[in-house]
Amino acid sequence: MSHVTPKSKPISEKRVDLSVRIGKLQLKNPILTASGTFGYGDEYAHVVDLSVLGAVVTKTVTVKPRPGNAPTRVAETASGMLNSIGLENVGLERFRSEKLPRLAKLKATVIASIGGETPEELETLLGALGNEPGVGAFEVNFSCPNVAAGGARFWADPARLERTLVGLRRLTDRPLIAKLSPDVTDIRETARACERGGADAVTAVNTFVGLALDLDRMRSKLGKATGGLSGPAIKPLALARCWEASGAIGIPVVGSGGIVSGRDALEFIAVGATAVQVGTATFVEPEAATRVLAEMRTWLAQHGHAKLSSLIGAVQAPAAQEPAKPHA
Amino acid sequence: MATTTRTWRQVSARVRTQREYGAGFRWLELEMPAGFAAPVAGQFVQLLLDPPSPVLLPRPMSVASVSKKGTKLVVGFLYAPVGTGTQAIARLEPGSTIGVTGPLGQGYPLDEPGTPVLVAGGRGVAPLLMAADVLAKSRRRCEFVFGARTASLLVGLAEARERLAKRGSKLHLATDDGTRGFKGNVVQMLDRLAPKLAGPLVIYSCGPHGMLAAVARWAMANGARAHLAMESVMACGTGVCRGCPLPRSAEARDRVLATGADAAPLQGNPEWAMCCTDGPVFEARELDWDRVE
Repeated sequence: MSHVTPKSKPISEKRVDLSVRIGKLQLKNPILTASGTFGYGDEYAHVVDLSVLGAVVTKTVTVKPRPGNAPTRVAETASGMLNSIGLENVGLERFRSEKLPRLAKLKATVIASIGGETPEELETLLGALGNEPGVGAFEVNFSCPNVAAGGARFWADPARLERTLVGLRRLTDRPLIAKLSPDVTDIRETARACERGGADAVTAVNTFVGLALDLDRMRSKLGKATGGLSGPAIKPLALARCWEASGAIGIPVVGSGGIVSGRDALEFIAVGATAVQVGTATFVEPEAATRVLAEMRTWLAQHGHAKLSSLIGAVQAPAAQEPAKPHA
Repeated sequence: MATTTRTWRQVSARVRTQREYGAGFRWLELEMPAGFAAPVAGQFVQLLLDPPSPVLLPRPMSVASVSKKGTKLVVGFLYAPVGTGTQAIARLEPGSTIGVTGPLGQGYPLDEPGTPVLVAGGRGVAPLLMAADVLAKSRRRCEFVFGARTASLLVGLAEARERLAKRGSKLHLATDDGTRGFKGNVVQMLDRLAPKLAGPLVIYSCGPHGMLAAVARWAMANGARAHLAMESVMACGTGVCRGCPLPRSAEARDRVLATGADAAPLQGNPEWAMCCTDGPVFEARELDWDRVE
């Protein structure tokens, strides 16, 4: 890897332009909340001004309400946590009638996360929400590791991803962001399939499948055997997947995985992410996303970067250092 | 539907005192900055170690006391340093700082009519002593049942005795092995005590889940109301992560389905209540005790 950005004199933070674009959606800055870690936005509205964030990505909504998995749903691991929530959510009707109006009142830019067990369910969701004025873009959750049907394994098939996105593309003119699982042989293949299918961006990555044992009781610490691993533990893994994906496609990549600081966020930008998501850090510190935003702005000003977007992909990958193809 | 106005904040607090409390427990007092709302009995906070911390997530801890020292709000905790996080908390010296998110959750509804019976198991005594103080302020005497497996696990017994005596409340001790007080468990104690009390009874309880389930079943069988403080593994503590489910009773499920709402205003999950926002204090009829772990 080579560092191509020259050092320059510090500038005022006010001069730093953080705006980025995902498809038709102009974002005032690249800091998004990760789906499932910020509820429907209003849970944190008394401590976080949602309007200053690039966007709020809401908890994945499915056609019908889902009660979620039986306990235990969370377990802490070294520098991370496993979750097996199971897509608990209020369902399409309440999302539309209760959540979206509240988010509009809070002046949040909303990216609605949708999830389905079949392409048809996703089409139902997008058919209902595709023209909602309060939704700026959609993130399609192709990567939940904790549901029996329609989870990360089901959506790991590039042909299915492409076909599904072709169908979804017809239902909305808003940007479609495909959230990908890291647990695939080659994330470049799934990312390319999404681009071919008409996605405007991909999010790299969702949680990694993980397992934590309670050895004394000889069982998993979670109610289901495995869960999704998140937090600082996965940052180097996620950064590599983000780098691979952004090198493989022409559409923007949204980086996600273990971001807790402005520097973390900028690392994802540097390997090619156009925007980033702050997730597990919010469970630790409710104001994490706005702190990451402030730290990012400060770093850019101190290093004399007036435009964040000029740093996207600043760290190039010389051919010799590209990751080996797993099954070349 | 209990519409909750969120008042919790994340702040940095100062350790005022920390000491051994006996039987492997510790007593911690934090001085809170201005703007932190005073917790009520039964509520909890999330304690977050300053970096570098050996753990990622904050530790949920129930509030054992709230007092004013000058203009400062002081919040006390009784805890057992059993894991990496709580052991690190145990090493904090007076003057050091720690992050606190709170107050969180629904506390005990101490204004319910009836004769208050407080039922504590082991370290569950702490929030109930706080509840006894609040009841005394509204001139209500309580019956205080304090049980443990054995005498040494009646945590802070001397202090409990002194505080309750001042309030005119009556302390009833029970140990499984008979090393102190009545030989038997708290439910057997309730059987003995109830006929002597003016009904209806309203029970407030805190202790291990097995004991709480037994107290809940006793209350339902005997026509008493019971409010039980539950525990769970948690991540956020604020209702967002959905990580701390407890099984709702059929009655509660039907109500949530009918009204589409629960204490966390935007959720309304008919199967699972969240320990952090719907609780941690639940009335006996809210949970399915056969499925509580």
